[in-house]
Amino acid sequence: MTALLAAEWTRLTGTKLWLWGLLAALASGALIGLLALAGPENFTPPMPGLDTAQGIHALLGLLGFTVFVPALLGTIAVSAEYRHRTITTTTLFAPRRWTWLAAKLAIYTGAGLAYGATAAAVAGGALWGVAVLKGITLGLPAVTITALLARIALTMAVYTLLGLAVGALLRNQVTALIAVGAYFYMIETVLMLIPGIKLLYPYLPGGATAALTGFTYLADAIADQTGTSATPLLSAPAGAAVLVCYALVAIAIAVAAPLRRDIT
Amino acid sequence: MNIEVRGLTKAFGPISAVTDLSFEAEAGVVTGFLGPNGAGKTTTMQMMLGLVTPTSGTATFGGHRYADLPHPSAAVGAVLDSAGFHPAHTAYDHLRVYARMGRHGTARVDQVADLTGVSAFAGRLTRTLSTGMRQRLSLATALLGDPQVLLLDEPSNGLDPEGIAWLREFLRELAADGRTILVSSHVLGEIEHTADHVVVIRDGRLVTAGPIAGLYGTATVLVRSPQADLFAAKLVTSEVRVEHPRPDLLRIHGLSTEQVAAAAASHGVTLHEITPEHPTLEQAFLHLTGGSR
Ligand SMILES: Nc1ncnc2c1ncn2[C@@H]1O[C@H](COP(=O)(O)OP(=O)(O)OP(=O)(O)O)[C@@H](O)[C@H]1O
Ligand SMILES: [Mg+2]
Repeated sequence: MTALLAAEWTRLTGTKLWLWGLLAALASGALIGLLALAGPENFTPPMPGLDTAQGIHALLGLLGFTVFVPALLGTIAVSAEYRHRTITTTTLFAPRRWTWLAAKLAIYTGAGLAYGATAAAVAGGALWGVAVLKGITLGLPAVTITALLARIALTMAVYTLLGLAVGALLRNQVTALIAVGAYFYMIETVLMLIPGIKLLYPYLPGGATAALTGFTYLADAIADQTGTSATPLLSAPAGAAVLVCYALVAIAIAVAAPLRRDIT
Repeated sequence: MNIEVRGLTKAFGPISAVTDLSFEAEAGVVTGFLGPNGAGKTTTMQMMLGLVTPTSGTATFGGHRYADLPHPSAAVGAVLDSAGFHPAHTAYDHLRVYARMGRHGTARVDQVADLTGVSAFAGRLTRTLSTGMRQRLSLATALLGDPQVLLLDEPSNGLDPEGIAWLREFLRELAADGRTILVSSHVLGEIEHTADHVVVIRDGRLVTAGPIAGLYGTATVLVRSPQADLFAAKLVTSEVRVEHPRPDLLRIHGLSTEQVAAAAASHGVTLHEITPEHPTLEQAFLHLTGGSR
Protein backbone atom coordinates (compact mmCIF):
# COMPACT_ATOMS: atom_id res chain seq x y z
CA MET A 1 0.00 0.00 0.00
CA THR A 2 2.87 2.39 0.71
CA ALA A 3 4.08 1.69 -2.83
CA LEU A 4 0.70 2.63 -4.25
CA LEU A 5 0.59 5.78 -2.12
CA ALA A 6 4.08 6.75 -3.26
CA ALA A 7 3.08 6.11 -6.87
CA GLU A 8 -0.05 8.26 -6.60
CA TRP A 9 1.96 10.99 -4.95
CA THR A 10 4.49 10.86 -7.79
CA ARG A 11 1.66 10.93 -10.29
CA LEU A 12 0.04 13.95 -8.62
CA THR A 13 3.26 15.93 -8.40
CA GLY A 14 4.24 14.96 -11.94
CA THR A 15 1.45 17.06 -13.45
CA LYS A 16 0.46 20.67 -12.92
CA LEU A 17 -2.85 19.67 -11.31
CA TRP A 18 -1.50 20.35 -7.83
CA LEU A 19 -0.44 23.83 -8.94
CA TRP A 20 -3.92 24.62 -10.24
CA GLY A 21 -5.32 23.28 -6.97
CA LEU A 22 -3.04 25.54 -4.98
CA LEU A 23 -3.93 28.56 -7.11
CA ALA A 24 -7.64 27.82 -6.79
CA ALA A 25 -7.31 27.47 -3.01
CA LEU A 26 -5.43 30.77 -2.73
CA ALA A 27 -7.89 32.50 -5.05
CA SER A 28 -11.02 31.31 -3.21
CA GLY A 29 -9.47 32.38 0.10
CA ALA A 30 -8.52 35.75 -1.38
CA LEU A 31 -12.04 36.20 -2.76
CA ILE A 32 -13.42 36.03 0.78
CA GLY A 33 -10.81 38.58 1.81
CA LEU A 34 -11.96 40.92 -0.98
CA LEU A 35 -15.60 40.52 0.00
CA ALA A 36 -14.70 41.24 3.63
CA LEU A 37 -12.84 44.34 2.51
CA ALA A 38 -15.84 45.54 0.50
CA GLY A 39 -18.05 44.84 3.52
CA PRO A 40 -21.17 42.62 3.37
CA GLU A 41 -23.32 45.59 4.40
CA ASN A 42 -22.51 47.18 1.02
CA PHE A 43 -23.69 44.15 -1.03
CA THR A 44 -26.89 44.24 -3.06
CA PRO A 45 -29.00 43.10 -1.33
CA PRO A 46 -27.14 44.16 1.83
CA MET A 47 -26.05 41.37 4.11
CA PRO A 48 -25.35 41.54 7.84
CA GLY A 49 -21.97 43.18 8.60
CA LEU A 50 -18.82 41.56 9.89
CA ASP A 51 -19.57 42.75 13.40
CA THR A 52 -22.50 40.34 13.57
CA ALA A 53 -22.42 36.57 13.96
CA GLN A 54 -24.68 36.23 10.92
CA GLY A 55 -22.32 38.31 8.80
CA ILE A 56 -19.34 36.08 9.59
CA HIS A 57 -21.42 32.95 8.95
CA ALA A 58 -22.57 34.27 5.60
CA LEU A 59 -19.11 35.25 4.45
CA LEU A 60 -17.49 31.99 5.45
CA GLY A 61 -20.48 30.19 3.99
CA LEU A 62 -19.56 31.74 0.66
CA LEU A 63 -16.15 30.09 1.00
CA GLY A 64 -18.03 26.88 1.68
CA PHE A 65 -19.75 27.49 -1.64
CA THR A 66 -16.47 26.97 -3.49
CA VAL A 67 -16.28 23.32 -2.37
CA PHE A 68 -17.13 22.23 -5.91
CA VAL A 69 -13.61 23.24 -6.95
CA PRO A 70 -11.81 20.50 -4.99
CA ALA A 71 -14.64 18.15 -6.04
CA LEU A 72 -13.80 18.91 -9.67
CA LEU A 73 -10.10 18.38 -9.01
CA GLY A 74 -10.89 14.97 -7.48
CA THR A 75 -13.01 14.10 -10.49
CA ILE A 76 -10.24 15.08 -12.89
CA ALA A 77 -7.72 13.01 -10.96
CA VAL A 78 -9.61 9.72 -11.29
CA SER A 79 -11.20 10.13 -14.68
CA ALA A 80 -7.78 11.04 -16.13
CA GLU A 81 -6.84 7.38 -15.63
CA TYR A 82 -9.62 6.37 -17.97
CA ARG A 83 -9.26 9.26 -20.38
CA HIS A 84 -5.55 8.75 -20.93
CA ARG A 85 -5.86 4.99 -20.59
CA THR A 86 -3.21 4.65 -17.93
CA ILE A 87 -5.84 2.50 -16.22
CA THR A 88 -4.54 -0.52 -18.16
CA THR A 89 -1.01 -0.21 -16.81
CA THR A 90 -2.25 0.73 -13.34
CA THR A 91 -4.43 -2.39 -13.23
CA LEU A 92 -1.52 -4.53 -14.39
CA PHE A 93 0.69 -3.19 -11.62
CA ALA A 94 -2.10 -3.42 -8.99
CA PRO A 95 -4.45 -6.21 -10.18
CA ARG A 96 -6.62 -5.99 -7.07
CA ARG A 97 -8.31 -2.88 -8.34
CA TRP A 98 -9.70 -1.52 -5.07
CA THR A 99 -6.13 -1.11 -3.80
CA TRP A 100 -5.20 1.64 -6.24
CA LEU A 101 -8.56 3.33 -5.77
CA ALA A 102 -7.96 3.27 -2.01
CA ALA A 103 -4.49 4.75 -2.53
CA LYS A 104 -5.96 7.51 -4.70
CA LEU A 105 -8.64 8.19 -2.10
CA ALA A 106 -6.05 8.49 0.64
CA ILE A 107 -3.74 10.78 -1.33
CA TYR A 108 -6.55 12.99 -2.57
CA THR A 109 -8.26 13.22 0.82
CA GLY A 110 -4.95 14.57 2.03
CA ALA A 111 -4.75 16.89 -0.97
CA GLY A 112 -8.36 18.02 -0.39
CA LEU A 113 -7.57 18.73 3.25
CA ALA A 114 -4.51 20.71 2.22
CA TYR A 115 -6.66 22.59 -0.28
CA GLY A 116 -9.25 23.37 2.39
CA ALA A 117 -6.63 24.36 4.94
CA THR A 118 -5.00 26.72 2.45
CA ALA A 119 -8.27 28.33 1.41
CA ALA A 120 -9.46 28.58 5.03
CA ALA A 121 -6.15 30.00 6.25
CA VAL A 122 -6.10 32.66 3.54
CA ALA A 123 -9.76 33.54 4.19
CA GLY A 124 -9.25 33.62 7.96
CA GLY A 125 -6.11 35.70 7.66
CA ALA A 126 -7.90 38.13 5.35
CA LEU A 127 -10.88 38.35 7.70
CA TRP A 128 -8.79 39.33 10.69
CA GLY A 129 -6.67 41.60 8.54
CA VAL A 130 -9.77 43.47 7.37
CA ALA A 131 -11.06 43.62 10.96
CA VAL A 132 -7.84 45.24 12.16
CA LEU A 133 -7.73 47.53 9.11
CA LYS A 134 -11.27 48.75 9.54
CA GLY A 135 -11.25 48.65 13.31
CA ILE A 136 -14.21 46.24 13.43
CA THR A 137 -14.78 43.82 16.29
CA LEU A 138 -15.73 40.57 14.57
CA GLY A 139 -19.18 39.26 15.44
CA LEU A 140 -17.89 35.89 16.61
CA PRO A 141 -15.09 34.93 18.99
CA ALA A 142 -11.81 33.83 17.37
CA VAL A 143 -12.27 30.27 18.61
CA THR A 144 -15.65 29.96 16.89
CA ILE A 145 -14.31 31.43 13.64
CA THR A 146 -11.36 29.02 13.69
CA ALA A 147 -13.73 26.13 14.28
CA LEU A 148 -15.91 27.28 11.35
CA LEU A 149 -12.85 27.51 9.11
CA ALA A 150 -11.73 24.03 10.18
CA ARG A 151 -15.19 22.69 9.33
CA ILE A 152 -14.95 24.23 5.88
CA ALA A 153 -11.51 22.68 5.34
CA LEU A 154 -12.98 19.32 6.34
CA THR A 155 -15.91 19.81 3.99
CA MET A 156 -13.49 20.38 1.16
CA ALA A 157 -11.68 17.12 1.90
CA VAL A 158 -15.00 15.24 1.88
CA TYR A 159 -15.97 16.92 -1.39
CA THR A 160 -12.69 15.88 -2.98
CA LEU A 161 -13.65 12.32 -2.04
CA LEU A 162 -17.11 12.79 -3.53
CA GLY A 163 -15.64 14.15 -6.74
CA LEU A 164 -13.21 11.25 -6.89
CA ALA A 165 -16.00 8.74 -6.47
CA VAL A 166 -18.03 10.38 -9.23
CA GLY A 167 -14.98 10.23 -11.50
CA ALA A 168 -14.50 6.53 -10.76
CA LEU A 169 -18.18 5.88 -11.41
CA LEU A 170 -18.63 7.79 -14.64
CA ARG A 171 -15.12 7.30 -16.08
CA ASN A 172 -15.74 9.66 -18.95
CA GLN A 173 -13.95 12.82 -17.87
CA VAL A 174 -16.25 15.29 -19.61
CA THR A 175 -19.42 13.55 -18.44
CA ALA A 176 -18.10 13.40 -14.88
CA LEU A 177 -17.11 17.07 -14.87
CA ILE A 178 -20.47 18.12 -16.27
CA ALA A 179 -22.29 15.95 -13.73
CA VAL A 180 -20.40 17.43 -10.79
CA GLY A 181 -20.63 20.99 -12.09
CA ALA A 182 -24.31 20.75 -12.99
CA TYR A 183 -25.17 19.33 -9.60
CA PHE A 184 -23.65 22.18 -7.65
CA TYR A 185 -24.68 24.96 -9.99
CA MET A 186 -28.18 23.90 -10.88
CA ILE A 187 -29.70 20.64 -9.85
CA GLU A 188 -29.66 21.11 -6.09
CA THR A 189 -30.94 24.70 -6.28
CA VAL A 190 -33.74 23.62 -8.58
CA LEU A 191 -34.61 20.72 -6.28
CA MET A 192 -35.08 23.15 -3.43
CA LEU A 193 -37.85 24.91 -5.35
CA ILE A 194 -39.97 21.76 -5.33
CA PRO A 195 -41.98 21.87 -2.09
CA GLY A 196 -41.92 18.15 -1.28
CA ILE A 197 -38.27 17.58 -2.15
CA LYS A 198 -37.34 20.61 -0.11
CA LEU A 199 -37.91 18.54 3.01
CA LEU A 200 -35.07 16.33 1.89
CA TYR A 201 -32.75 19.27 1.51
CA PRO A 202 -31.00 18.80 4.86
CA TYR A 203 -29.94 15.38 3.66
CA LEU A 204 -28.73 16.47 0.21
CA PRO A 205 -25.02 17.28 -0.15
CA GLY A 206 -25.73 21.01 -0.29
CA GLY A 207 -27.93 20.94 2.80
CA ALA A 208 -25.45 18.84 4.72
CA THR A 209 -22.71 21.23 3.65
CA ALA A 210 -24.79 24.18 4.83
CA ALA A 211 -25.25 22.46 8.17
CA LEU A 212 -21.51 21.88 8.42
CA THR A 213 -20.51 25.40 7.41
CA GLY A 214 -23.44 27.12 9.14
CA PHE A 215 -24.32 28.97 5.91
CA THR A 216 -28.10 29.14 5.53
CA TYR A 217 -28.38 32.35 3.57
CA LEU A 218 -29.29 30.61 0.30
CA ALA A 219 -31.88 28.36 1.94
CA ASP A 220 -33.37 31.35 3.73
CA ALA A 221 -33.48 33.44 0.58
CA ILE A 222 -35.29 30.73 -1.34
CA ALA A 223 -37.69 30.23 1.54
CA ASP A 224 -38.42 33.97 1.45
CA GLN A 225 -39.03 33.97 -2.27
CA THR A 226 -41.29 30.94 -2.29
CA GLY A 227 -43.06 32.14 0.83
CA THR A 228 -42.46 28.94 2.73
CA SER A 229 -40.49 28.42 5.87
CA ALA A 230 -36.93 27.21 5.53
CA THR A 231 -36.43 23.56 6.31
CA PRO A 232 -34.33 23.31 9.46
CA LEU A 233 -30.84 22.00 8.78
CA LEU A 234 -29.10 19.16 10.56
CA SER A 235 -26.57 19.80 13.30
CA ALA A 236 -22.99 20.29 12.13
CA PRO A 237 -21.73 16.81 13.13
CA ALA A 238 -24.81 15.21 11.57
CA GLY A 239 -24.20 17.21 8.39
CA ALA A 240 -20.60 15.98 8.34
CA ALA A 241 -21.80 12.42 8.86
CA VAL A 242 -24.27 12.72 5.96
CA LEU A 243 -21.51 14.03 3.67
CA VAL A 244 -19.14 11.25 4.63
CA CYS A 245 -21.93 8.75 3.99
CA TYR A 246 -22.41 10.16 0.49
CA ALA A 247 -18.71 9.77 -0.19
CA LEU A 248 -18.67 6.22 1.21
CA VAL A 249 -21.70 5.16 -0.81
CA ALA A 250 -20.21 6.65 -3.97
CA ILE A 251 -16.93 4.87 -3.32
CA ALA A 252 -18.66 1.59 -2.55
CA ILE A 253 -20.53 1.80 -5.86
CA ALA A 254 -17.30 2.73 -7.62
CA VAL A 255 -15.53 -0.29 -6.15
CA ALA A 256 -18.43 -2.64 -6.76
CA ALA A 257 -19.39 -1.67 -10.31
CA PRO A 258 -16.82 0.01 -12.59
CA LEU A 259 -13.83 -1.67 -11.09
CA ARG A 260 -15.20 -5.00 -12.24
CA ARG A 261 -15.80 -3.84 -15.76
CA ASP A 262 -13.57 -5.06 -18.55
CA ILE A 263 -10.67 -2.77 -19.33
CA THR A 264 -10.27 -2.88 -23.09
CA MET B 1 7.75 -19.78 -15.84
CA ASN B 2 5.40 -21.35 -18.40
CA ILE B 3 2.13 -19.96 -19.65
CA GLU B 4 -0.84 -22.27 -19.69
CA VAL B 5 -4.13 -21.30 -21.31
CA ARG B 6 -7.08 -23.66 -20.72
CA GLY B 7 -10.45 -23.42 -22.41
CA LEU B 8 -10.43 -19.63 -22.53
CA THR B 9 -13.74 -18.29 -23.83
CA LYS B 10 -15.08 -14.75 -24.12
CA ALA B 11 -18.35 -13.55 -25.53
CA PHE B 12 -19.03 -9.83 -25.84
CA GLY B 13 -22.79 -10.05 -25.96
CA PRO B 14 -23.60 -11.90 -29.19
CA ILE B 15 -19.98 -11.73 -30.44
CA SER B 16 -17.84 -14.76 -29.64
CA ALA B 17 -14.40 -13.19 -29.49
CA VAL B 18 -12.56 -16.27 -28.18
CA THR B 19 -13.88 -19.83 -28.00
CA ASP B 20 -12.42 -22.67 -25.93
CA LEU B 21 -8.83 -21.67 -26.59
CA SER B 22 -6.05 -23.76 -25.07
CA PHE B 23 -2.31 -23.51 -25.64
CA GLU B 24 1.00 -23.36 -23.81
CA ALA B 25 4.06 -21.17 -24.11
CA GLU B 26 7.33 -22.41 -22.71
CA ALA B 27 10.20 -20.66 -21.02
CA GLY B 28 13.26 -20.06 -23.18
CA VAL B 29 11.44 -19.74 -26.48
CA VAL B 30 9.62 -17.00 -28.34
CA THR B 31 6.06 -18.08 -29.06
CA GLY B 32 4.32 -16.28 -31.88
CA PHE B 33 0.59 -15.69 -31.44
CA LEU B 34 -0.85 -15.38 -34.91
CA GLY B 35 -4.22 -14.67 -36.39
CA PRO B 36 -5.88 -12.30 -38.84
CA ASN B 37 -7.55 -9.05 -37.69
CA GLY B 38 -10.34 -9.73 -35.24
CA ALA B 39 -9.17 -13.28 -34.52
CA GLY B 40 -9.14 -12.62 -30.77
CA LYS B 41 -5.44 -12.11 -30.02
CA THR B 42 -5.87 -8.91 -28.04
CA THR B 43 -8.90 -10.25 -26.17
CA THR B 44 -6.96 -13.41 -25.24
CA MET B 45 -4.06 -11.39 -23.86
CA GLN B 46 -6.43 -9.11 -21.94
CA MET B 47 -8.03 -12.18 -20.37
CA MET B 48 -4.65 -13.67 -19.51
CA LEU B 49 -3.81 -10.46 -17.65
CA GLY B 50 -7.12 -10.16 -15.82
CA LEU B 51 -8.12 -6.97 -17.63
CA VAL B 52 -11.06 -8.73 -19.23
CA THR B 53 -13.04 -11.32 -17.28
CA PRO B 54 -13.33 -14.56 -19.30
CA THR B 55 -16.76 -16.09 -19.83
CA SER B 56 -15.02 -19.33 -18.90
CA GLY B 57 -11.56 -20.87 -18.82
CA THR B 58 -8.29 -19.91 -17.16
CA ALA B 59 -4.82 -18.66 -17.95
CA THR B 60 -1.95 -19.26 -15.56
CA PHE B 61 1.69 -18.22 -15.25
CA GLY B 62 3.73 -20.89 -13.50
CA GLY B 63 0.43 -22.20 -12.12
CA HIS B 64 -0.91 -18.88 -10.83
CA ARG B 65 -3.53 -16.62 -12.33
CA TYR B 66 -2.16 -13.16 -13.03
CA ALA B 67 -4.03 -11.49 -10.17
CA ASP B 68 -2.90 -14.22 -7.74
CA LEU B 69 0.80 -13.84 -8.51
CA PRO B 70 2.67 -12.71 -5.39
CA HIS B 71 4.28 -9.82 -7.28
CA PRO B 72 2.59 -9.55 -10.67
CA SER B 73 4.67 -6.83 -12.31
CA ALA B 74 7.87 -8.65 -11.33
CA ALA B 75 6.63 -11.88 -12.93
CA VAL B 76 4.80 -10.77 -16.07
CA GLY B 77 5.31 -7.70 -18.23
CA ALA B 78 2.85 -6.67 -20.93
CA VAL B 79 2.93 -4.37 -23.92
CA LEU B 80 -0.65 -3.61 -24.97
CA ASP B 81 -1.62 -0.89 -27.37
CA SER B 82 -4.67 -0.08 -25.24
CA ALA B 83 -2.28 1.30 -22.60
CA GLY B 84 -1.73 5.05 -22.65
CA PHE B 85 0.25 7.74 -20.89
CA HIS B 86 -0.73 10.90 -19.06
CA PRO B 87 -0.04 13.60 -21.66
CA ALA B 88 1.36 16.00 -19.07
CA HIS B 89 3.85 13.46 -17.74
CA THR B 90 7.28 13.08 -19.24
CA ALA B 91 8.35 9.60 -20.32
CA TYR B 92 10.53 9.60 -17.23
CA ASP B 93 7.62 10.61 -14.93
CA HIS B 94 5.58 7.74 -16.34
CA LEU B 95 8.32 5.22 -15.58
CA ARG B 96 8.83 6.66 -12.11
CA VAL B 97 5.13 6.33 -11.22
CA TYR B 98 5.07 2.65 -12.18
CA ALA B 99 8.50 1.87 -10.70
CA ARG B 100 7.05 3.15 -7.41
CA MET B 101 3.80 1.30 -7.83
CA GLY B 102 5.54 -2.01 -8.56
CA ARG B 103 8.23 -1.48 -5.88
CA HIS B 104 10.98 -1.85 -8.47
CA GLY B 105 13.24 0.93 -7.24
CA THR B 106 14.00 4.16 -9.08
CA ALA B 107 17.39 2.85 -10.24
CA ARG B 108 15.49 0.48 -12.49
CA VAL B 109 13.96 3.44 -14.33
CA ASP B 110 17.31 4.44 -15.82
CA GLN B 111 18.14 0.83 -16.64
CA VAL B 112 14.98 0.16 -18.65
CA ALA B 113 15.19 3.59 -20.28
CA ASP B 114 18.69 2.76 -21.51
CA LEU B 115 17.72 -0.76 -22.51
CA THR B 116 14.82 0.35 -24.71
CA GLY B 117 16.20 3.61 -26.05
CA VAL B 118 13.74 5.68 -24.06
CA SER B 119 16.65 7.67 -22.58
CA ALA B 120 16.84 9.62 -25.83
CA PHE B 121 13.45 11.23 -25.11
CA ALA B 122 12.98 10.61 -21.39
CA GLY B 123 12.45 14.29 -20.62
CA ARG B 124 9.78 14.88 -23.24
CA LEU B 125 6.07 15.07 -22.46
CA THR B 126 4.37 11.86 -23.54
CA ARG B 127 1.88 13.78 -25.69
CA THR B 128 4.76 14.80 -27.95
CA LEU B 129 6.00 11.24 -28.54
CA SER B 130 5.75 9.42 -31.86
CA THR B 131 4.05 6.03 -32.16
CA GLY B 132 7.39 4.23 -32.16
CA MET B 133 8.57 6.16 -29.11
CA ARG B 134 5.35 5.25 -27.30
CA GLN B 135 5.90 1.63 -28.20
CA ARG B 136 9.38 1.78 -26.66
CA LEU B 137 8.02 3.49 -23.55
CA SER B 138 5.41 0.72 -23.22
CA LEU B 139 8.15 -1.87 -23.49
CA ALA B 140 10.26 -0.02 -20.91
CA THR B 141 7.27 0.03 -18.53
CA ALA B 142 6.73 -3.71 -19.02
CA LEU B 143 10.39 -4.39 -18.24
CA LEU B 144 10.45 -2.39 -14.97
CA GLY B 145 9.95 -5.50 -12.86
CA ASP B 146 12.50 -7.54 -14.88
CA PRO B 147 9.70 -10.07 -15.52
CA GLN B 148 10.14 -13.74 -16.39
CA VAL B 149 7.23 -13.59 -18.82
CA LEU B 150 6.61 -10.99 -21.49
CA LEU B 151 3.33 -10.59 -23.38
CA LEU B 152 3.50 -8.31 -26.39
CA ASP B 153 0.49 -7.38 -28.52
CA GLU B 154 1.65 -6.35 -32.00
CA PRO B 155 4.75 -4.66 -30.60
CA SER B 156 6.22 -3.72 -33.98
CA ASN B 157 3.29 -1.39 -34.72
CA GLY B 158 4.81 1.98 -35.50
CA LEU B 159 8.42 0.82 -35.32
CA ASP B 160 10.73 1.65 -38.21
CA PRO B 161 12.71 -1.20 -39.90
CA GLU B 162 15.66 -0.52 -37.63
CA GLY B 163 13.38 -0.63 -34.61
CA ILE B 164 11.80 -3.89 -35.77
CA ALA B 165 15.21 -5.51 -36.24
CA TRP B 166 16.25 -4.28 -32.82
CA LEU B 167 13.08 -5.61 -31.17
CA ARG B 168 13.52 -8.98 -32.86
CA GLU B 169 17.05 -9.32 -31.52
CA PHE B 170 15.99 -8.03 -28.11
CA LEU B 171 13.19 -10.60 -27.77
CA ARG B 172 15.50 -13.41 -28.87
CA GLU B 173 18.00 -12.39 -26.19
CA LEU B 174 15.30 -12.28 -23.53
CA ALA B 175 14.16 -15.78 -24.54
CA ALA B 176 17.74 -17.08 -24.58
CA ASP B 177 17.87 -15.80 -21.01
CA GLY B 178 15.19 -18.35 -20.11
CA ARG B 179 12.21 -16.01 -20.27
CA THR B 180 8.82 -16.83 -21.74
CA ILE B 181 7.88 -14.55 -24.61
CA LEU B 182 4.45 -14.47 -26.23
CA VAL B 183 4.25 -12.03 -29.11
CA SER B 184 1.19 -11.50 -31.26
CA SER B 185 0.96 -10.44 -34.88
CA HIS B 186 -1.40 -10.63 -37.81
CA VAL B 187 1.53 -10.79 -40.24
CA LEU B 188 3.58 -13.95 -40.15
CA GLY B 189 6.61 -12.32 -41.79
CA GLU B 190 6.93 -10.08 -38.78
CA ILE B 191 7.70 -12.88 -36.35
CA GLU B 192 8.81 -15.61 -38.74
CA HIS B 193 12.44 -14.94 -37.83
CA THR B 194 11.81 -14.34 -34.14
CA ALA B 195 9.44 -17.08 -33.05
CA ASP B 196 10.36 -20.70 -32.41
CA HIS B 197 6.81 -21.79 -31.73
CA VAL B 198 3.56 -20.49 -33.08
CA VAL B 199 -0.03 -20.55 -31.92
CA VAL B 200 -2.40 -19.76 -34.79
CA ILE B 201 -6.00 -18.74 -34.14
CA ARG B 202 -8.89 -17.78 -36.40
CA ASP B 203 -12.35 -16.59 -35.36
CA GLY B 204 -11.36 -17.07 -31.74
CA ARG B 205 -10.49 -20.74 -32.15
CA LEU B 206 -7.19 -22.56 -32.21
CA VAL B 207 -6.06 -23.52 -35.72
CA THR B 208 -2.69 -24.99 -34.97
CA ALA B 209 0.08 -24.81 -32.38
CA GLY B 210 3.63 -26.09 -32.43
CA PRO B 211 7.12 -25.50 -33.80
CA ILE B 212 7.16 -22.93 -36.58
CA ALA B 213 8.73 -25.46 -38.99
CA GLY B 214 5.53 -27.49 -38.80
CA LEU B 215 3.65 -24.63 -40.45
CA TYR B 216 5.42 -25.28 -43.75
CA GLY B 217 3.35 -28.38 -44.25
CA THR B 218 4.64 -31.25 -46.40
CA ALA B 219 7.17 -30.37 -49.02
CA THR B 220 6.77 -31.38 -52.67
CA VAL B 221 9.40 -32.36 -55.23
CA LEU B 222 9.43 -31.01 -58.79
CA VAL B 223 10.88 -33.34 -61.40
CA ARG B 224 11.66 -32.73 -65.09
CA SER B 225 12.08 -35.87 -67.13
CA PRO B 226 11.68 -36.99 -70.78
CA GLN B 227 10.00 -40.14 -69.32
CA ALA B 228 7.54 -38.30 -67.10
CA ASP B 229 4.55 -40.49 -68.02
CA LEU B 230 6.36 -43.71 -67.26
CA PHE B 231 7.82 -42.37 -63.99
CA ALA B 232 4.42 -41.12 -62.80
CA ALA B 233 2.86 -44.54 -63.40
CA LYS B 234 5.63 -46.25 -61.40
CA LEU B 235 5.44 -43.76 -58.46
CA VAL B 236 1.76 -43.57 -57.65
CA THR B 237 0.80 -45.49 -54.49
CA SER B 238 -1.67 -44.81 -51.70
CA GLU B 239 0.87 -42.45 -50.00
CA VAL B 240 2.24 -40.75 -53.07
CA ARG B 241 0.26 -38.34 -55.20
CA VAL B 242 1.58 -37.00 -58.50
CA GLU B 243 0.53 -33.91 -60.40
CA HIS B 244 1.37 -33.63 -64.06
CA PRO B 245 1.31 -29.94 -64.95
CA ARG B 246 3.28 -30.23 -68.22
CA PRO B 247 4.20 -33.25 -70.39
CA ASP B 248 7.80 -33.29 -69.07
CA LEU B 249 7.03 -32.08 -65.55
CA LEU B 250 5.86 -33.85 -62.38
CA ARG B 251 5.05 -32.47 -58.93
CA ILE B 252 5.37 -35.30 -56.42
CA HIS B 253 3.65 -35.15 -53.01
CA GLY B 254 4.72 -37.48 -50.22
CA LEU B 255 8.34 -38.27 -51.10
CA SER B 256 11.64 -36.56 -50.25
CA THR B 257 14.17 -35.62 -52.97
CA GLU B 258 16.32 -38.56 -51.88
CA GLN B 259 13.43 -40.99 -52.24
CA VAL B 260 12.55 -39.59 -55.68
CA ALA B 261 16.16 -39.92 -56.86
CA ALA B 262 16.38 -43.47 -55.56
CA ALA B 263 13.11 -44.41 -57.28
CA ALA B 264 14.33 -42.93 -60.58
CA ALA B 265 17.56 -44.95 -60.35
CA SER B 266 15.81 -48.22 -59.57
CA HIS B 267 13.32 -47.76 -62.45
CA GLY B 268 16.04 -46.59 -64.86
CA VAL B 269 14.31 -43.26 -65.49
CA THR B 270 16.34 -40.32 -66.80
CA LEU B 271 15.94 -37.09 -64.78
CA HIS B 272 16.87 -33.62 -66.09
CA GLU B 273 15.99 -31.76 -62.98
CA ILE B 274 14.97 -32.48 -59.38
CA THR B 275 13.91 -29.55 -57.15
CA PRO B 276 12.49 -29.52 -53.59
CA GLU B 277 9.54 -27.10 -53.28
CA HIS B 278 8.56 -25.45 -49.98
CA PRO B 279 5.43 -23.39 -49.78
CA THR B 280 6.37 -20.09 -48.16
CA LEU B 281 5.38 -19.73 -44.56
CA GLU B 282 3.15 -16.84 -45.55
CA GLN B 283 1.23 -19.11 -47.95
CA ALA B 284 0.87 -21.73 -45.24
CA PHE B 285 -0.38 -19.10 -42.84
CA LEU B 286 -2.85 -17.67 -45.32
CA HIS B 287 -4.10 -21.16 -46.03
CA LEU B 288 -4.52 -21.92 -42.32
CA THR B 289 -6.23 -18.67 -41.49
CA GLY B 290 -8.63 -18.71 -44.39
CA GLY B 291 -6.59 -17.02 -47.10
CA SER B 292 -8.52 -14.33 -48.87
CA ARG B 293 -10.10 -12.80 -45.74
N1 LIG C 1 -14.90 -4.58 -26.01
C1 LIG C 1 -15.43 -5.27 -27.02
N2 LIG C 1 -16.75 -5.30 -27.22
C2 LIG C 1 -17.30 -6.00 -28.22
N3 LIG C 1 -16.59 -6.75 -29.08
C3 LIG C 1 -15.27 -6.78 -28.94
C4 LIG C 1 -14.61 -6.05 -27.92
N4 LIG C 1 -13.28 -6.27 -28.03
C5 LIG C 1 -13.12 -7.09 -29.07
N5 LIG C 1 -14.31 -7.41 -29.63
C6 LIG C 1 -14.53 -8.32 -30.78
O1 LIG C 1 -13.87 -9.53 -30.50
C7 LIG C 1 -13.24 -10.03 -31.66
C8 LIG C 1 -11.76 -10.22 -31.41
O2 LIG C 1 -11.15 -8.96 -31.28
P1 LIG C 1 -9.62 -8.78 -30.91
O3 LIG C 1 -9.37 -7.33 -30.73
O4 LIG C 1 -9.29 -9.66 -29.77
O5 LIG C 1 -8.89 -9.31 -32.23
P2 LIG C 1 -7.35 -9.24 -32.63
O6 LIG C 1 -6.96 -10.61 -33.00
O7 LIG C 1 -6.58 -8.57 -31.57
O8 LIG C 1 -7.41 -8.34 -33.95
P3 LIG C 1 -6.35 -7.28 -34.54
O9 LIG C 1 -5.34 -8.03 -35.31
O10 LIG C 1 -7.21 -6.44 -35.45
O11 LIG C 1 -5.80 -6.51 -33.41
C9 LIG C 1 -13.56 -9.05 -32.77
O12 LIG C 1 -14.68 -9.54 -33.47
C10 LIG C 1 -13.93 -7.79 -32.04
O13 LIG C 1 -14.85 -7.04 -32.79
MG1 LIG D 1 -5.44 -6.78 -31.52
